[in-house]
Amino acid sequence: MNDASLSRRSLLQAIAATVATASMPFSWTEIAQGLDAAHSVAQSGGGAKISFFTAAEAADVEAVAAQIVPTDDSPGAREAGAVYFIDRALATFFSQLAGDYRDQLAAFQTTFRQQHPGVPSFASLPSNEQIDYLKGVDQTPFFNTTRLLTLLGMFTLPAYGGNRDGIGWTLIGFQDAHFFRPPFGYYDRDYPGFVIDR
Amino acid sequence: MQFRDSETVDFVIVGSGAAGGVIARELAQAGLTVVVLEQGPRLALRDFVKHDELKDWYLGGLTNDAVKNAQTFRDDESKKAELQKFKPALWYGRAVGGASLHYTANYWRLREIDFIERSRLGAIPGTGFADWPITYADLEPYYTKVEWEVGVSGLAGANPFDPPRTKGYPMPPLPVKSSGVLFERGARKLGWHPVPAPMAINSQQYRGRPACVHCGFCHGFACEVGAKASTLTTVIPEAEATGRCEVRPESYVSRIETNDLGRTTGVTYFDRDRRGHFQRSRAVVVCANGAETPRLLLMSASSRFPDGLANSSGLVGKYLMFNYSGRATGVFEHELNEYKSVQVTRILHDFYDSDPKRGHYGGGGLDARIGPQPTTWAIRNDADCPSWGSAYKARLREYPRTMQVASHGTSLAVASNNVTLDPEVKDAWGLPAIRVTYRDHPDDLANATFLQDRGAEILEAAGAVKVTKAAVVPQTTSVHLLGTCRMGDDPATSVIDKFHRSHDVRNLFVCDGSSLVTSGRGQPTMTIQALAFRAGEHIAGFAKRGQI
Repeated sequence: MNDASLSRRSLLQAIAATVATASMPFSWTEIAQGLDAAHSVAQSGGGAKISFFTAAEAADVEAVAAQIVPTDDSPGAREAGAVYFIDRALATFFSQLAGDYRDQLAAFQTTFRQQHPGVPSFASLPSNEQIDYLKGVDQTPFFNTTRLLTLLGMFTLPAYGGNRDGIGWTLIGFQDAHFFRPPFGYYDRDYPGFVIDR
Repeated sequence: MQFRDSETVDFVIVGSGAAGGVIARELAQAGLTVVVLEQGPRLALRDFVKHDELKDWYLGGLTNDAVKNAQTFRDDESKKAELQKFKPALWYGRAVGGASLHYTANYWRLREIDFIERSRLGAIPGTGFADWPITYADLEPYYTKVEWEVGVSGLAGANPFDPPRTKGYPMPPLPVKSSGVLFERGARKLGWHPVPAPMAINSQQYRGRPACVHCGFCHGFACEVGAKASTLTTVIPEAEATGRCEVRPESYVSRIETNDLGRTTGVTYFDRDRRGHFQRSRAVVVCANGAETPRLLLMSASSRFPDGLANSSGLVGKYLMFNYSGRATGVFEHELNEYKSVQVTRILHDFYDSDPKRGHYGGGGLDARIGPQPTTWAIRNDADCPSWGSAYKARLREYPRTMQVASHGTSLAVASNNVTLDPEVKDAWGLPAIRVTYRDHPDDLANATFLQDRGAEILEAAGAVKVTKAAVVPQTTSVHLLGTCRMGDDPATSVIDKFHRSHDVRNLFVCDGSSLVTSGRGQPTMTIQALAFRAGEHIAGFAKRGQI
């Protein structure tokens, strides 16, 4: 049994456990169907193609994203595929941001070249030099928008092209499930019950 | 039940949210015919299972959307308002159920003081600070009605600051979370009074809806099992069951029509294919929220009402109030896993009242929660915290050990905080965009700092290993849309009377967040629904007595 069907079954069992009668204003079958559809979307993933950016633009954006959530002993924005999410977002559901973002990216690249004659691109710098450079520009609209889009690409549903294999969720210890039972954490395990204090 | 546009129904209700759904049920059950026109689609529980943060928080899955429903924002009336390309400044539910689909479902009653604060504290220069035309006692029966008809979990008698109540809650509180335990521990050490949170979420099966399954997707999402009360799953099916109410989704009202006698005759709206229709009615009730309600009245200007409908006071759209929402964040040694279950299980009201000793007007409540689910949590940052790089990544890893104390404060009514029609920008239907002008009053910011500091103290007292606070800066966005068509006895200083009838147009009523005279301390939906039950009862009475 795969994760999706386990999750579906556990949700239905959890609901059934809370329901004493069948007189509900809606159908459990419909919810189950919706859940199946949601899981098939979640697993479909985004195509690993770049369509909005040029290859050089994609390399720079990916390099910035990879400094926002770096790769260390665990995966970061690069492995999550954030740049693919960003590319797809600007080409489709965030197309209203595309014009401004292209201008901001061009300004970022122009300024970089002016300050680093002879260096082919931001992406070609060693990581420690990238960090030093970004410290000087991390209040710019380009950086702010890249941060926003990178984090959306780290943590939203993998179907949108980022958060590959749930890398973002694993990083922060988040579990996308449809039901939980108390105790939820360490501190509510041995709670003695609420006592009115006045 | 389906009505034709050409049929004259008793009431058109604009909006199917927290207020519109309740009034629809009250009128239909009283024997009146009702058409509810809702901008957004009618969704079902199967649409709510995806836990899709991108869609529901950033792409208008349940709400208005930055592209279709263009809005502009400025913080000063002398400036040109800028188009908000990424997210609208004022965020509202745009589907059958309205914001009751995606709210957090904190259900606090207002207290006696909220209705008479102006008399107690005196005038505040430069503001429209005023008493309500009704008192807590007038509204108490309807608060009780909300708790029992909609379904609220809570513990009566726990909160020493609660106003009098005639009945307990119909359900016990939801199971406490680690954030609630820590909040209780810290607050009690400080001598304060944490109590179980009243929530419009079932802790057990209630009125045909199941108990919460603790999936964690309440705040900004619609409940996939129907345990969180929305009008979609409570009063609207009850209204439809009368056979006298039709809810018409994807019906976007552009104008309230009036005749030579200065009475409304119905509304003009776009259907899903953007074809225009005119629905005739004997009266109109506008429940379109604190942003869309004033906009619709302003768009309904005519030669008889050149400044907009029901606007002889000039106050339609004015006195917009957000509540100031602040936070302190604590990281603990062990896991809390706050992404599970409902947002809030403990609150406290020790700082509810304004206290002149603090040097500013205002008060508020505190609660324990995580705040948004992963994406938006990661995007938000507290003051002086790393926002990128390896230090930021370390912060991301703290997610399961993190909680917030959220603070909910007062907003003063200031005339220069308002909703107007943008002179240039249009929405996707060619109607004038909402133009928002807003800057928190200095007292609101001072109050926010005061409340956040108390939240940080609770986290310290509870043993947090690290405590940070959000920067207190003027807000540029809100989901609490309050005060823009305020109620009052004097037609010169208010838009509607104490029964929600507009002072200027006898068969036009308004009930939603816009009706509030003061902001309360956050959590406005409970009060909006209590007002709606009361308004529904009175409006039905007027209709039956031929007083419309």
